[in-house]
Amino acid sequence: MIPELMIALSVGAALFGVGLYGALSQTNLVMILMGVELVLASALVNTVAFWRYLHPDVTAAKMYVLIVMAVMALEMAVGFGIAVARFRARGSVEMEEARELKG
Amino acid sequence: MSLGPVLFLAFFGIAAIWFGVVVFRTQSMVRSAIALLFSQTSVGAMFLVMQAEFLGVLQIMMMATEMSVMAIFMVMFMMDPGGMGKMDMTHQKRLSLRAGGIGLVAALVVIWTAGWQGPVPEVPGADEQARMLGREILGRSMFIFESAALMILTAMIAATMVAVAPQERDRP
Repeated sequence: MIPELMIALSVGAALFGVGLYGALSQTNLVMILMGVELVLASALVNTVAFWRYLHPDVTAAKMYVLIVMAVMALEMAVGFGIAVARFRARGSVEMEEARELKG
Repeated sequence: MSLGPVLFLAFFGIAAIWFGVVVFRTQSMVRSAIALLFSQTSVGAMFLVMQAEFLGVLQIMMMATEMSVMAIFMVMFMMDPGGMGKMDMTHQKRLSLRAGGIGLVAALVVIWTAGWQGPVPEVPGADEQARMLGREILGRSMFIFESAALMILTAMIAATMVAVAPQERDRP
């Protein structure tokens, strides 16, 4: 057993659970983005933990972390772009009022 | 096993989870953004404990900027950014709680039954790690790195195009 790895992975699991709860339960677009950020943070913790405690010789794991960080930034940028457009059109970013987006 | 890293990992891990919970518990949206900043900073501190110095510093710097921008957007877009009106901005709470709980328990079961075996290998120093990452980026993973750059550029243009106010001539 590797206690450090177990702790880091458990933290990742908890962040995933909290983030999933937040993304599903919030009605505001910016708050939903916050939930998604937490889920992605859990992926980062897991990847760094696997790299450190199982395969520190595999540098590609760090590359993967950089890609996830880029995805986090992109998610925020595109999310805020949509929020601005939505706020301009409807004066609100409440997703309860965005039922017309449903297919 | 040395006790120091275990204690620091547990401390920053609990801080990351605690601030993550505060994000969705507080009424004030600005406090939510600051709590998320602290949560992400704790994750960055965990990276530092795990000897991923470059990634830890990058995470803290990126999240500090990102959350500052987020706090500004919160104040701009929220009807009640200070949370003074005690507005409830949640829905399907029970379903969300169940989904989050199931995700957490399933992940914990896998983690605690997987039987990870030691010993923990040694990690090269920070300078050697940075050199190895540079070689990885400019070597085997160059295509992925360039794709990410292109992805960022595309998303920047797309986000700007979506957010820009429609001109009079664009209207049907």
